[in-house]
Amino acid sequence: MADDGSHVARLAQDALARLSGVKKRYGATVALDGLDLEVRPGELLAVLGPNGAGKTTAIALMLGLQVPDAGQVTLFGRSPHDLTARRNVGVMMQEVALPDALTVRDLIGQTSAYYPAPLTPAETIALAGVEKIARRPYAKLSGGQKRQAQFALAICGRPRLLFLDEPTTGLDINARETMWACVRNLVAAGTSVVLTTHYIEEAEALADRVVVMAKGREVAQGTVGEMRALVARKRIDCATSLSLAKALAWPEVSAASLSAAGQLSITTADAEAVVRRLLAADPELKDLEVRRAGLSEAFAELTQEPAE
Amino acid sequence: MTAILDTGPKMTAGRVLGAYLSDARYESLRLLRTPAFSIPILAMPILFYTFFGVLLNGGGHRPPGFSDMMFVGWTVYGVMGPGLFGFGILVAVERNMGLLTFKRALPMPTGGYLAAKLIMAYLFALVVMAMLVTAGLTMGHVTLSPMQLLTVAATMSLGVIPACAIGLFIGAWAPASSASAFANIVYLGMAFLSGLFFPLSGFLHDIRAIWPTYHLVQLAHAAAGMPTEGSMVGHAGVLAALSAVLILLASRKLARRG
Repeated sequence: MADDGSHVARLAQDALARLSGVKKRYGATVALDGLDLEVRPGELLAVLGPNGAGKTTAIALMLGLQVPDAGQVTLFGRSPHDLTARRNVGVMMQEVALPDALTVRDLIGQTSAYYPAPLTPAETIALAGVEKIARRPYAKLSGGQKRQAQFALAICGRPRLLFLDEPTTGLDINARETMWACVRNLVAAGTSVVLTTHYIEEAEALADRVVVMAKGREVAQGTVGEMRALVARKRIDCATSLSLAKALAWPEVSAASLSAAGQLSITTADAEAVVRRLLAADPELKDLEVRRAGLSEAFAELTQEPAE
Repeated sequence: MTAILDTGPKMTAGRVLGAYLSDARYESLRLLRTPAFSIPILAMPILFYTFFGVLLNGGGHRPPGFSDMMFVGWTVYGVMGPGLFGFGILVAVERNMGLLTFKRALPMPTGGYLAAKLIMAYLFALVVMAMLVTAGLTMGHVTLSPMQLLTVAATMSLGVIPACAIGLFIGAWAPASSASAFANIVYLGMAFLSGLFFPLSGFLHDIRAIWPTYHLVQLAHAAAGMPTEGSMVGHAGVLAALSAVLILLASRKLARRG
């Protein structure tokens, strides 16, 4: 027990941000339902989940923008409302409109003044790769360029912990690669990052650890490799007279369902073996389709609920 | 638990002050670059004053004190604008577009958002006053002494605060789409229904004390050595109480909803 106690104390001290048993509801909608989440030093934590899973609410709580209905929130061991704690944090929110008449450079100058030891505007501009848009008023930027400008604001204060809420939505491939490279460099230099995303590729490209959320809860967490294995499964659909029970009995099948129209859907890590069994068991089988299971299948399997 | 923050750079008092000033600078800059704001605020008072106070100034048949009354009246009008619109419209719009939420997530110093707008309102009010004083002395036949002009300017600078308070109240409570309309209605009422430029009669005269500009112009008349009505302590008290109540109501709304 003594060992357990010191382990818990060490974790509490080490976590840069932590949600403990947090519940949050908006009217009748439950946004978070007893969520535990911690951000450890030096890690890039990707929080994945479908729309409405509670990812943005979790970040809003860690930033002190929302107050939990139950549970505890700490940021650097303090209340997120403590300015001293927030001076170590950079943030890129999902929806924000910045003053139209200011240039990207102005916005960087204004935001970095809030931090004790920020990068110079020139350093921020170079690091975020926004040289071409630095002198342009914010109003004149495209959607993707606005996201790049917001990213520059997130990193200008040399944060120890960076929150990126769906950072690459709307970016073209080049801009996305630039942002990814910058995030990798920051993590290599010791910055911790919380990244929320819809895109499994983004988590695969960047994350050390992945938390999958659905309906306000954590449904899975692990390394990228573990999550990749989950998503590397194949989905097989076909029209067959085979019974669901028989398909479920095969060892390679990890999940199966039968629609009212007689369409059998199987999730498996070994599609070839299952296809061989299907064709052997039902020579009349039709409409065979095999495809890589997407993140939504992974979520569906984890949550027992269809994802959006 | 707090040991985690014991390392790393600290925010010095100088940097905190710098953050307030930098916010005020960028707030002023963005408004200067927004013609829909800067032109009405900076140009309208001097245009109106030149037209009504100088060009239509009775052609030498001015009643005694008319020039000074016009000058003081348009100055009150001019200094109320930046606070009323700078807070009224912008707070409503920024509340609506998520900027306020973003600012709350940042380590912006306490009150920095409002301090920046307050300093901006003062800077714009100073520019407006400087233009009106220049026009008044060169074209407007203003007879106030330099000392009286300074006292009027000091009184006016107190008037910026109630203007900001009214603007903040509108910005906190009005929807973004209608904040501008509310601010304009209040501004017009304050300008033309409070006796800034001409004596009122009847019902409007009886209710003139509901307008903060009525109280401010009485204080300005006193500062200029012009005839006044009512108690100066009373006028100052009304402006202070109004500001306090509106700021309190607005802060409650902003703290709750962001």
